[in-house]
Amino acid sequence: MNSLNDIPLDILIPEVIMTIGMLMMIVIPNLGDAKIRLPLTRTHIPVLIGGTRFSLVSNPVIPSIIAIITFASASLMSLVMLLENKTATAPPIIEINQFTSLFSMIFTFALLLTSISAFYRLPSKSDAKIPNDKDTTASKNSKITILMNNRRQVDFYILLLMVGLGMCLVAKSTHLFMLFVCLELASLSSYVLVGFHKESQIGGEAGTKYFIVGSVASAIGIYGMSLLYLWNGNLEIASLTNAWQNMDSLDPFAGIGMGLMLVAFGFKVGAAPFHLATPDAYSGASSPVAGLLATASKAMGFVAMMRILLIITMPESGEEAYWMFALAIISVITMTWGNLAALTSDNPKRMLAYSSVAHAGYMMAALSAIGTGLGDFESNTLILTAIIFHLTILVLFKFGAFMVLTLIENEGSSHTISGLNGLVRRDPIIALSMFIFMLSLAGVPPLSGFLSKLLMINGIINLSAGTGSITSVAVFTWITSVNMIFWLAIAIVINSAISLFYYLRIGLIMFFEDPITDDPLDRAIYLRLTIVLCALLTLLCGIGPLSESLLGIVNEAAQSFLLVR
Amino acid sequence: MSLDVLTIITITPIFTGLILLLMPQILPKEISSNLVKVTRNISMGIALGIFVIATMLFFGFIGDIDWTNIMQGNYVLKNDPFSLISSIGVQWKVGTDALSFPMIWLTTLLIPISMLVEWDAKRGHLFHPLLLIMEGALLGVFVSLDLFVFYVFWELTLIPMFLLILVWGGNDRKYAAMKFFIYTFTASVFMLIGILIMYFHTNPISGLGSMTGHHFDLVEMVAQENLIPSEGLRHFVWILLLVGFATKMPSVPVHTWLPDAHVQAPTAGSMLLAGVMLKMGAYGFLRIAVTLFPESTIVFIPLLIFLGMASLVYGAWVCMGQTNLKRMVAYSSVSHMGLIFLGIATMQPLGIAGALFMMFAHGIISPLLFAVAGAFKHHYHTLEIGSMRGIAHHSPYLSGHMMLGWMASLGLPLMAGFVAEVAILIAFWMEFGWLVMLPALTLVITATYYLTSMQRTIFESDDPHHGILPDTLNGEQPRDITWHENTGMFILGLLTILFGIFPFIFWDMMSSWSTGFVTETLVEAMQNKDTWNSNIDWLMEVLK
Repeated sequence: MNSLNDIPLDILIPEVIMTIGMLMMIVIPNLGDAKIRLPLTRTHIPVLIGGTRFSLVSNPVIPSIIAIITFASASLMSLVMLLENKTATAPPIIEINQFTSLFSMIFTFALLLTSISAFYRLPSKSDAKIPNDKDTTASKNSKITILMNNRRQVDFYILLLMVGLGMCLVAKSTHLFMLFVCLELASLSSYVLVGFHKESQIGGEAGTKYFIVGSVASAIGIYGMSLLYLWNGNLEIASLTNAWQNMDSLDPFAGIGMGLMLVAFGFKVGAAPFHLATPDAYSGASSPVAGLLATASKAMGFVAMMRILLIITMPESGEEAYWMFALAIISVITMTWGNLAALTSDNPKRMLAYSSVAHAGYMMAALSAIGTGLGDFESNTLILTAIIFHLTILVLFKFGAFMVLTLIENEGSSHTISGLNGLVRRDPIIALSMFIFMLSLAGVPPLSGFLSKLLMINGIINLSAGTGSITSVAVFTWITSVNMIFWLAIAIVINSAISLFYYLRIGLIMFFEDPITDDPLDRAIYLRLTIVLCALLTLLCGIGPLSESLLGIVNEAAQSFLLVR
Repeated sequence: MSLDVLTIITITPIFTGLILLLMPQILPKEISSNLVKVTRNISMGIALGIFVIATMLFFGFIGDIDWTNIMQGNYVLKNDPFSLISSIGVQWKVGTDALSFPMIWLTTLLIPISMLVEWDAKRGHLFHPLLLIMEGALLGVFVSLDLFVFYVFWELTLIPMFLLILVWGGNDRKYAAMKFFIYTFTASVFMLIGILIMYFHTNPISGLGSMTGHHFDLVEMVAQENLIPSEGLRHFVWILLLVGFATKMPSVPVHTWLPDAHVQAPTAGSMLLAGVMLKMGAYGFLRIAVTLFPESTIVFIPLLIFLGMASLVYGAWVCMGQTNLKRMVAYSSVSHMGLIFLGIATMQPLGIAGALFMMFAHGIISPLLFAVAGAFKHHYHTLEIGSMRGIAHHSPYLSGHMMLGWMASLGLPLMAGFVAEVAILIAFWMEFGWLVMLPALTLVITATYYLTSMQRTIFESDDPHHGILPDTLNGEQPRDITWHENTGMFILGLLTILFGIFPFIFWDMMSSWSTGFVTETLVEAMQNKDTWNSNIDWLMEVLK
């Protein structure tokens, strides 16, 4: 058995960077001129921690800068590791390959975007004043808000770093226990982040709700894991896979245990019927955090789900996985429910929450296509590529939309769709970017959302269209002979058509309603630059050389994931 | 990767349009407020330049192409294909032939004309660049020989049109724009499924589709023997494609987006919608569905005839009850598109050439009608047919163009529409005998509603000197159309007559192409049909 000391640290560079960032976050703002007197002498020795803080480090903006630098370098290092095709294992708990590097890049990039938007959403001011008796109530309140924001900068970014650490390790863990602990590290921190604005009632309520539902889901997952332990006596993924393959018939402990674990992960990805807390959480959280939940947290859930579904319980090629039918049904329910609910929601964050539920449905449909066992390695890789590609570019346009909402939110009006009224007249570039994000979410070519949806439908059709009878001469006989997975492609298509309505409505509102105020939006230069960059990348990843190379990377990642078996 | 002429005329308008759209955002406020004139002049210059290139292509000044001798399956002005997303087999491959070239020429013609008609459009710094982007997207649909790129351009046309309706449309524009977008997008994703099923039956080509082993190359798909082995699946794919194309055309029962979109769209939007976008459906149907699956087409001929007849008769019948000018013209488009289905259903060179010529002729007549309706709305502030009488007195030019357009649309001899109708009806008679009575009699209905509304708007008046003016004018005297509206309509009217008297300009290449199309593609599939062979040469000579 290896000990932790045997793990070479160079395979954990992003995690190490984030840990260093966390330490710096604790130490740097506390640097001061404190001294201790050596006993029995008059010499004072500076210990640098505590006392009056140095003017350089007392600036409240420091934590956010540390976070941004940390996430940027972690993301960059993940990219370097990805391009270098770094592979290593530290059995039994950690494994590094292109798949894990790609996902740690996705997570850290999403967190980078979160910190950039939180820089403006949770602003810090260096010249904060203490309220005195001369102030009116309003000015007193604003001064208190500024002071509170300054005070809690460190809390927010430390929580973000915890989330990042947990997520990156989830992608890398090859042991169910490790996976679950890291998942909980990320989840618990994100519960706090959802309820972070405790002065607003809705935030606290959302955080509590999300925490209760989430911890019930985790409890169910842990119960499932204990059943698995009872069955196998070992929670290493490789050992579980081995045991599963050698199982003659489905062992009830194993089957029920896996099913219960899927409940926990289904909550993370927002699959129906475990998605009910999602819209509340998204609408209660501040937009940067909601964006984090919609992209990175969802991707984390999918990583865990893929480990269970595609590695452990996937039978030999040609056999149908036992979860296939259930997952297919759940995926159709999820996408339809998400889209129908999004149609009626007036809160843009709720709408985006339901739309992310619908997107989870599309990806689960693609997963269940792999579960049919019809495909060989190549076609399974193709479907997995589609899913991972979707999760990757989702960071660009889903988070992009949340970043635009961050800008709006600073005016205090992102809880109704009217906050977006006439955005094009107030800020054409931002409105255009938002329109691009919406079209990409809807899957309109040539944007990248189209490419990923096309690849998913593509993969499903690739597997299923060949199953129809070759000798049938009439349409009807062919329809009855085809594998039912084919209809998932049709379900995705019909759902995309439904979803078009609410995505276009955002465009309509931005272009045609009269704006509530004529004030220009917050200046927020870096946030603006990031939004425009995301919009550009959304376009470039849809067609052309960039999409080509991204697809190549994702395809290699998918192969490296599936090759484990 | 050298650029060829088709790539240039497709990419240039998109890029210049985007640059012109973004210019006011980047430049400082003082400069950008004067930008309208510059923008529209640049847009017009580019559109005219592309039109000149297309015309020179046709007359052989560029490329030196013998248009009457392009056999089906051969494409001219092909480029050297290069891959866009090679891992799934997408490449930039363009080419044209007698099926697509008239549409290309039509697009390049209609864009400057619709710019001219709406020369004074509000927010001109956005309007004219959007039309340029529209031009690029439409040309992309007609030139691309790769189904992925085809689909991308197909959907790309929606966005400028959506914005055109939404920003410059009538009172009910939001509803119309949403309906237009959702309707056509939904239909085309079904088409996308059809394309994907075909994609997965293609044989691998080296260098394409490194990840999937398949490709979207249309030419290779046509060349591949027995693309989809299962006949049932073939029919299924054919139906999926038909859903996409018939909705675009549009055919009854999926036509309901068209009247709303037309009534709310600005004049230029209506002109392009009726002139080119409807033809995309017919073009795609011939280019993909019929070419790849001729057997399925033959199996479903009854369905095609039913759809064609239903559109033709229903469209004409509904026209009779319309009081809104644009709505009437929109339903007459539905009716004429039905004739295209009938022409294709004959599976004869004459019928298919007639359908092609119908696509072209309707592409110059219906923009004229919509330009007239738009000018009517512009100067009389209403579209109600009964609300005013005797406009010949107030607006002689407008009523002249109106009469010319309506006469052409009802199929008067010596006008472009007549040639197409006659060709389709003759072919239909040769194939299906007395069934031709139904479409032929429908033309009478067409004449009825046009003549009735002509009488009610242009001429009939209690007071021959003043006519009845609509309430919407609030007692002002109406003006006649402006010079730019007049010029645009004049060009379209001239072309209507020109192609009525000298149809051979395009007819020759269309008929030789469709002869090749029938003999190459359909002949195997229709061995039990031999009636078309005997009389066809004689009739072709007569029509020439």
